[in-house]
Amino acid sequence: MTRLRKDSIEHSRRSFLIGSVGSGLLMAFAPSINALEVITGGASQQLSGKLFSPTVWFEIDNNGAILVNVARAEMGQHVGTAIARIVADELGADWSHVEIKHVDTDPKWGYMVTGGSWSVFQTYVPMSQAGAAGRTVLIEAGAKLLGVNAHDCTTQNSMVVAGSQSISFADVVKSGKIDRVFSADELAEFKPKSPASRQLIAKPSQALDIPAKTNGTAEYGIDVELENMVYARPVVPPTRHGSVVKGVDDSDAKKVKGYQGYQILNDPSNTIQGWVTVLADSYYGAVKAGNAIKVEYDVGETANVSEQDIISQGEALAKDKTSGTLVVEKGDITAAAKNAKTSLESVYRTSSVLHFTMEPVNAAVEFKDGVCHVHCGNQWQSLFLPVVAKAVGMSEDKVIIHQYYLGGGFGRRLAGDYMIPAALTAQAVGKPVKLVFTREDDARFDCVRSPSVQQMNAYWNAEDKLLGIEHGAAAGWPTLAMAPAFMPDGVDKKGKYDPFSIAGADHWYTLDNHRVRAINNTLAQKTFVPGWLRAVGPGWTGWAVESFMDEVAHKQNVDPIDFRLSLLDASGKNAGESPVSVGGAKRLAKVLTDIRKQTNWGQSLPKNQGLGIAISSGQERDMPTWGACVAHVEVDPETGAVKVHKLTGLLDCGTVVHPDGALAQTQGSMLWGMSLALFEGTAFEKGQVKDTNLNTYSPLRMNNLPELDISFVQNTEFPTGLGEPGLIAVAPAIANAIFNAVGARVRDLPIRPEAVLAAMPS
Amino acid sequence: MIEFSLNGKKITSDAEADTPLLWVIRDEFGLKGTKFGCGIAMCGACTVHFNGSPVRSCSLPIGAIANAEIRTIEGLENQHPLQKAWVEHQVPQCGYCQSGQIMQAAGLLATNANPSEEEIEAYMSGNLCRCMTYARIKDAIKDVATQSDAVVQIYNPKLESEQTQGVS
Repeated sequence: MTRLRKDSIEHSRRSFLIGSVGSGLLMAFAPSINALEVITGGASQQLSGKLFSPTVWFEIDNNGAILVNVARAEMGQHVGTAIARIVADELGADWSHVEIKHVDTDPKWGYMVTGGSWSVFQTYVPMSQAGAAGRTVLIEAGAKLLGVNAHDCTTQNSMVVAGSQSISFADVVKSGKIDRVFSADELAEFKPKSPASRQLIAKPSQALDIPAKTNGTAEYGIDVELENMVYARPVVPPTRHGSVVKGVDDSDAKKVKGYQGYQILNDPSNTIQGWVTVLADSYYGAVKAGNAIKVEYDVGETANVSEQDIISQGEALAKDKTSGTLVVEKGDITAAAKNAKTSLESVYRTSSVLHFTMEPVNAAVEFKDGVCHVHCGNQWQSLFLPVVAKAVGMSEDKVIIHQYYLGGGFGRRLAGDYMIPAALTAQAVGKPVKLVFTREDDARFDCVRSPSVQQMNAYWNAEDKLLGIEHGAAAGWPTLAMAPAFMPDGVDKKGKYDPFSIAGADHWYTLDNHRVRAINNTLAQKTFVPGWLRAVGPGWTGWAVESFMDEVAHKQNVDPIDFRLSLLDASGKNAGESPVSVGGAKRLAKVLTDIRKQTNWGQSLPKNQGLGIAISSGQERDMPTWGACVAHVEVDPETGAVKVHKLTGLLDCGTVVHPDGALAQTQGSMLWGMSLALFEGTAFEKGQVKDTNLNTYSPLRMNNLPELDISFVQNTEFPTGLGEPGLIAVAPAIANAIFNAVGARVRDLPIRPEAVLAAMPS
Repeated sequence: MIEFSLNGKKITSDAEADTPLLWVIRDEFGLKGTKFGCGIAMCGACTVHFNGSPVRSCSLPIGAIANAEIRTIEGLENQHPLQKAWVEHQVPQCGYCQSGQIMQAAGLLATNANPSEEEIEAYMSGNLCRCMTYARIKDAIKDVATQSDAVVQIYNPKLESEQTQGVS
C-alpha cells in the first residue's frame, strides 16, 4: 500500500513549467527533478517538446478556454470535475471556460490508477499549487500589460484585476511571451487558498461529464468502432486457471451467417489459459457462433471447487491461531486469552460477490504502424499495459491504451485482463478486433470479491473488564493475484499480506490487547482471480468488526453507542496525525455523537422494528474518512424478510471539494452497502460462479430504495476519499438493527430471510 | 429485408430476422446511445420506444418490428424535459444505464403524467442502475411530472419540424 501510494503520487517533488506554446499557454509538472536538471532551455521549449510528465496538466488557449487534462478514469465519480475545480479555484478561472479531457496512456503521463478513493486526496495539494503557480504567472504578465504593480492584482472570473482595471486571461495569453519554471521548493511555498476565499471548491456545481450521459453521446469502450474491425466473443473455459483446449468443433458455428472462424489463444503473459475466441462480421453473429461452437478441454484442478469448500478452508484457517500474517499486535492477546474468565467467539462470513458493471467488459484492439492500440475503459492502465505488451510480444512503449468512459468501475476495471484476449485475437487475425463479453461471459470471468471468513474472539477478566480482541480474516487476495509487489511485511516481518484484504481490521478503537491476522485462503486464490470490489477490505472486514462490537456491547449490557464511545479515546496511535488524520478517533466519536442525536437513538419503535449503528473509518488508516450509519429496519417475523425503512449516514471527509458529487457518491455507496447486505451473493459451483445474469443475481432496484438521510461534517480539514467509505457501515448497521428489532444475530452476508428466521429467539 | 422507422426516418436492414434490434441500432445504424447490459431484458439499458412504448431492444428480434416506429435516446434530440431534469438533478454517475432510464421514464410520463411515488417505483424497477442513482432518478421524474399540468409534452421532432415548416 505504501509503495503503491508513493508510486502514484507522481508529482510530489517536481518542478512546474509554465510557458507560451503555439498560441496558448501550457502549464505542467516537469518529468522529475533529476530530468529537469539535465534538460536545458526554458519552460516553453520543454513544453513545446512535450518534455513534461504530469498526471494532470492544463492549458489556456488564446480565447481563454481552459483545458484540464486528467489521467484518472471517469466511472461515475465526476473526478475530472473535482480535480478541475481545485485548479480553477486557485487560478481564479471562470468555471464556464473550463473543459476536461481524459487522456490515453503515455509513459510521460506517469502512473495511471484510479481507485482506493484516492483521486482528490492525492491531487488536492499538487493541483492547488499548480493552479496558484498559474495564477502568479498570469498576474505577473497581466500587471505588465496593465502597467500596474503585480502586488496590486488579483484574479477572478478569468480576469487579472487591479482596482478598476482588468485584462482577460485570453488577452494575457495572446500578448505575453511567458516562460517560467517553478522549482519544487518554490511550488511548495504555495499554500491552498483559505476556505473563506474559495470561489469553486466546496461550492455547488454541475459535473462536466453529465450532459453527454443524458443524450446518448457519452462514448464508452463498447461504443468504439475501428475501420474494418471484426467482432469477437470469448468462449470462457471451465476453470479460471489451467484449462487446456483439446479440440474445437465448429461445424454448427459454420451455419451462423457471417461467422469468420475461431482462434485458440496462446497467451505468453499467462493471464488466460485455454481460451478460444469466435469471430463474426456482427456481434450477434459472434454470440450465436459462441453458443454453437463446441470446445473440449483438459480442465484445471479447481473444476469441482464449491463455495462451501472455500468457506470451509477459510473457517479452518481463521480458527487456527498460527495461520496468516500479523498485521496488528498490541499487548499480549495470548496472555489475555489465558487469563480470561469469560469469552465470546463469533464467526462472520461473506459470500462471493460479482462486480456486475452495467457495461460488460470489452476491448477493441488494432495493430497499426508497429503500435498496439487498445481501446477500452480501464482504472489501472499502468498495471495491465506491461501485461498486454508481454502477451503480444511487443515492448511497452509500443502499446497505447485509449481511455473512454467506464460503464461502471467499482474495482472490476482495475484489472485489465479483458484486454488480453482482444489483443491476442487481433494479432492472430491481422485485423482490428472488438471483443465483447456477453453478460454471462462477464460474470464467469469476473474477479469476484472473495468469499471471506472472520473469526472474532473477545476476552473478559473476572471483573468483567474487556481485556482484548483477536481477529483472524481469511480470503482470496487481489493484490497477491495481480500486484504482489505491493504487499508489505507483517509487523513481525514473518511474511507478507494484502493490505487491501485486511484494512478496516486495524480500526481506531483503543484496546489493551489486540491482534489481527490477515490470512490467505489458498483455495480461493487457486480457483479464481480475487478482485478489488468497491470499499475493498473494509467492505467486508467492517462487517465483522462492527457486528462484533455490537455483540460485545450487548454482552456487557451497555448501549452500543456508549460502548463504542468508551473505546474511541484517541489515545496512543489513535490520536491521529496532522494533516490527514488530525483529531484521530475524536472525529469518529464526533460523528457517532452527532448521529445519535440526529436519529433520536433510543426512541421507542413499533414491534419488530429497530435501529442499528455502525461506524467506519474509510479505506485506510492513512486516509481516514470518518463515518457512521444508522439503519432503521423492520423484520417480518413470519418470513424473516428485512425491510430497510431508512439509512442515515454522517461522514467527515474533511473539505468537501465537489459537494453534489460527494452526495451522489455517498448515495451510491450506501445503497451498494445495502445491496451487498441483503441482495447480492453468489456461490462457486464446479469451479465457477453459479449466478451469471439478473435472472438469479439481484442487485438493489428502485423498489428497494429506503429513505436516505446523508450529511457531511462541515469543516476545512484535509480532504480524504469518498467514493467508497459510505458503503462500509451499512451492512453491520442493518444487522445490528435486525438484532435490536427481533433479537436475531446474523453473521453471514448477504443476510437471507431464512438466516434471520433461524436466528430468531424462539 | 425489414423496413421500419428509426427516429422518424424510414430505413431498411438486411440483418437476419432473429437479430435483436439492439445490435441493428448500434452497429448497423451507429446509434450508440442504446446500451447492451444483460441481453435478457432484465436491466433496461437497451430500452427504446416501439410505437411509443418502452421495450427492451436486446430481446426484440427485428423480424418483429416490420413497419414499426422505433425511437432511441438520440431521437429525443436533447429536447425531452426529462433530459433537462436529469442534468438539473445531476442524475448520472457512470451514465451507462441512463439512456434506458430516460426512455423508460419517458414511457411512463407519456401515459401517466402525474405518477405517484409507488407508480414510479413499479414502472422503473425493471431498470437497473449499478451506481444506484435511484433517488435522483425518482426526484427528476417527480420534478418533470409536477411541472406539467395535465399532460407532459413529449417532444416529437417530426411534429416539431412540420410545425416549423408551417410557420415559415
